[in-house]
Order: sequence, then structure tokens, then C-alpha cells
Amino acid sequence: MEHAPGDVREYLEAARASMRSIKQLLSQPSAEMIDQAVILLREVEIHLGCVAALLNKSLLPDLEIRTEVEELQEEVAVLARFLAQADRMLAGWLQGVRTRRGGYTDRGQAAPLILVKKVTVEG
Amino acid sequence: MGSLFSSLGSVANALQSFERAINVTQNNVTNANSPGYAAQVPVLQSQNFETEGGSSGGVTEITTDTRNQYAETAVQQQESLLGQFQQLQTSLGPLQTVFDVSGNSPIPSALNQLFQSFSQWSTDPTNADYQSSVLSAAQQTATAFQQTAAQLGQIRLATNSSTQSTVAQINQDAATIQSYNLNITKEGQPDAGLDAQLYSALDDLASQVPIQVLPGLGNTVTVLLGGQSPLVIGTQAFPIKAIDNTASNAGNPGAPPNVEIVDSNGYDITSQVTSGSLGGLIQIQNSILPSLAGGGQQVGGLNTLAKSLADAVNNVLESGSTTVTPPYQAGQPLFSYNPSSPAGIAASLTENSSLTPDQLAAASPGPPFVSNGAALQLASLDSPSNGVINGMNFTQYFSSLAAQVGNAASNASTQVTAQTQLLANTQNLRQQLSGVNIDEEAIRLVQLQSSYQAASKIVTVIDQLTQSIINMVQ
Repeated sequence: MEHAPGDVREYLEAARASMRSIKQLLSQPSAEMIDQAVILLREVEIHLGCVAALLNKSLLPDLEIRTEVEELQEEVAVLARFLAQADRMLAGWLQGVRTRRGGYTDRGQAAPLILVKKVTVEG
Repeated sequence: MGSLFSSLGSVANALQSFERAINVTQNNVTNANSPGYAAQVPVLQSQNFETEGGSSGGVTEITTDTRNQYAETAVQQQESLLGQFQQLQTSLGPLQTVFDVSGNSPIPSALNQLFQSFSQWSTDPTNADYQSSVLSAAQQTATAFQQTAAQLGQIRLATNSSTQSTVAQINQDAATIQSYNLNITKEGQPDAGLDAQLYSALDDLASQVPIQVLPGLGNTVTVLLGGQSPLVIGTQAFPIKAIDNTASNAGNPGAPPNVEIVDSNGYDITSQVTSGSLGGLIQIQNSILPSLAGGGQQVGGLNTLAKSLADAVNNVLESGSTTVTPPYQAGQPLFSYNPSSPAGIAASLTENSSLTPDQLAAASPGPPFVSNGAALQLASLDSPSNGVINGMNFTQYFSSLAAQVGNAASNASTQVTAQTQLLANTQNLRQQLSGVNIDEEAIRLVQLQSSYQAASKIVTVIDQLTQSIINMVQ
């Protein structure tokens, strides 16, 4: 069965919609929001996988589709920069917390983080 | 391209807010042990996100303070009470050494020797050695009273010096708070670092004097001493002073005056200083020390003891006789003191240096005449059945003074233990409400990093996919 370029555009549009939702979720940085963003990213991955499969079957050079994919790639690039920057900050900050909590190892690195379970007894 | 710039803008905005939130967390962890610091909570609020409409969307970050005023007030009150009892405990230590009944204190041992010498003398009134022993014991007794009075005088001086330095510290803390108010007025908005310094100064101040902290204009604080007298209002501080209340010793001329705390207008606010280390010092200086060494309103236990002893011994000797046959010669007094200064009798107590051994009146002219009657009477002055002062003999009375000091010291010690626990409880409560929990902050960061790393990996896959697709449609 031959797929029309319209099917490819639908998958691409779905992927872009998911990307918009992801950016909205990431604008509220909390573990729950990012977990939801991960689920949506998986959907984007599936949509794009479908686009790749459809294009593999009918290799139709289409300038419109190419433009759409390039725009999507730009958004992915922005997202990648955001995530890389956030990860860099968190890594640096976690190092700060580790040194604050446990000091330094013999090699001068931050000590591993050991979270202590506190028990309070009253009476 | 409009949507791309919009996306970039919103993501940059979100990243900036996120960075601020991380900075707040960083401040929290860095200041976890800073005195007076209250945890700041980053509150992130999302904005409408319209990729097509041109709105940048994103997120804004507002930092809120977790400080709880009720917990702060509770800690300050407990600090104030602990400061008072700690001061009492510290100041009563030297007093306990002076009023020591275990024999280390000079008065009980001197009294014991004096009455032993009377008893020995009564067995042979004409024995020159025994007579000399009486004079020697009287000299030791007078010296013991003088030494004790001098020690109490030194304690009073030290207490007075502590009062002055405490008042100076209170004024310094008030100046720190005034400086905070000045800074906050310039900056116009709260600052967690300044706030920590302020509450650290307030805790220090509360340990010295009872305070009430009220919110003032424009994020400043107003601090009232005892809930009434202003210490700091806005950018103005009102220093207090400790002065001698010269009117307080009108009842006993020459007695050490009471200390008085006056506000910046010179009004007496001593009654408002009910706790804190200054409250403890005032209690020592205006109540406990006068009850022992004398003051404007009372003669003092030590002076009462010195006067009663001197009068009782002198009365017996003056009513006795130095001769055993008529005409009877009245004896001379053994002790003398300055009667014009009732609160300084112990300090002025001396033995009669002009008295010779043969002038000691051992006989009681009677009738009936008893050759050693006066000496026997002197020996029995300190017997348990002889209630000379408030139903107590001299040794018992000194013991009651020592017990008074001991009880006060014991109470202060008990209160310090209880108050330390109460303060720890209120500090724990404050820590739970506004303290920084490093574990919680760390857990939050670990969760965030894990989630971001997972998202980052998928984005890499998506990036590769889009590149493959672009290659396909070329």
C-alpha cells in the first residue's frame, strides 16, 4: 500500500505538537514534569520512526516535508541545549552538595552522597 | 522563524528561572548552619505558552521565606529565660564559696574558735593563756567578718562590671539591628543574608534582655525591651544605660546603691528587665547581694550576724566584773563597729585593741556572785537552745545564710538544665519550620538530574532520527 505525503505530514505535525507540550512541561522544572516530558519524547521518537519508515517505502523528495523536518530539528537542538545546560548545572550543584555533606575523597573529588534516614523518638 | 525565536525566548526564560531556583537551593545548603538563616523556597509559576501568538511563555521564579514568627518569638523567650538562669548560676558560684558551711569559709571556723576559747577561759578565768586565746579568737573573728565583707564587695564590683558590659553588648546588638534596618530601607526588598544576620543578632539580644520584635515600616523591624521600651525603631536606636540609683540607699546611708536601668530619655525601666542575663545580674545586684551584704533597703544577713554577735558578747562582758571582790569593775567591750553604717557593720567589725587580758570580765556580780559567770554565759551564747537571731544561734544563722545561697544556686542550676532542654525543643521546632534539610535538597537535585538525563538521551535519538529523515528527503 502506497502512503501519501499527507500521512508523513500528519506524523510530523503530531511530533511537533508533542515537542510544544514538552517545552511547556520543561518550563516548570520538577521531577514529575520532566518524567511526563520523557513520555512525550518517546511519542515524538515513535512519530519520527513512522515518518522514517514511510519515507523509506516511497522516497519522494518533498521540499515542504524537508522544511518541516528542519524546523523540527531546530526545536530539538534548542531542547538539547536546554537539557545539556540543566544537566551541567545540576551536576555542578550536586558536587557542591556532596562536598558539603561528606567532604572530599583522597583524590580530591566530591565524596559520594549518602542520605541518612533520620529517626526521631519522643517521650 | 517567529515560532523558533519564540521557543528560544521561552526556553531561555525558563532556564533563567530555573537557574535562580537552583541558586536559592545553593544558598540554602551553603547557609544550612548559618546562625539565624531561614530556608528560602523557590516557587516556580508557569506563564501562558503561545508559540503562534508571540508570547514568550516560560516560567517565573518567586523566592519565599519559610521564617515563622511564632517559632522565632518562642525561641527568643526561651533564650531570655536561659540567659537569666545561666547568669544566676554563674554569679552565685562565687557567693557559694563565700558562704561555705563545710569549714572552708572563715566565719564558721572563727566562731567555733571564739566560743571554744570562751569555754576554755570559763574553766580558769585568771589563766593568762586562756585570756590571750579569747583576745586572739576575737581578732580572728573580726578579721573573718572583714574578709567576707570584702569578698562580697568584690563580687558586687564584678557584678556591676558585668552589668555595664552586658548593657554595652545590648546597645551594640541594637546598633546591628539599626544597621540592618538602614540596609533594608536602601535595598527596598528582603535579603536572606541580611535577614540571617538580623535574626542572629535578635537571638543574641534575647539572651541578654527580654525583647518583643514587631514588623516595622518597609520590611524593617521594631524591637521593644520588655514589650514596652523601644530599643530600635526603624533606622533609630535607643541605647539604654545602667546607673547607680543613689536614692535607693536613703534607708541605709553608706550602703551600696541599687543598679537602675534607664532608657534613652532617662526613665527607669528596671522593672521591665525581668529576664535575660541582664535580668539575672539585676536580681543578683538588687536582691541577692543586699540580702547578704546589705543595701539601701536592708541591713543584710552578714551585718545582722556581726552586730548581734558583737552586741551579745559586749553586753555580757560589760555587765560582768573584772574583780572577784567588791567594788566590782565592769568589763570592757570585746568588739567595736561603726553603728552609723548599718549595712557596713561586718566590714567595720574590729576587736578592741586597747583591751588587755586582765580587763576581760569573767565574773558575774550577781547576786549571786559567780567568779566565772560571765565567761560561762559567753560560752553558752552559741548553744543550740540560745536563739539570738530570729530563734537561731550564730552558727545556725550563718548556716541559714549559706542555705539561702545554696538553694538559689541549686534552683538556678535546675532551671538551666530545664531551660536548656526547652530552648533545644523550640529551636528544633524552628528548624523544622524554617531550617534547611540538606537531604531533602539533595534528593530533589538527584531526581531532577536523573529525569533530565533520561530526556537528554531521547533527544539525542530524536536528533539522529530527524537528521536521517532529512537525508532521506534530499
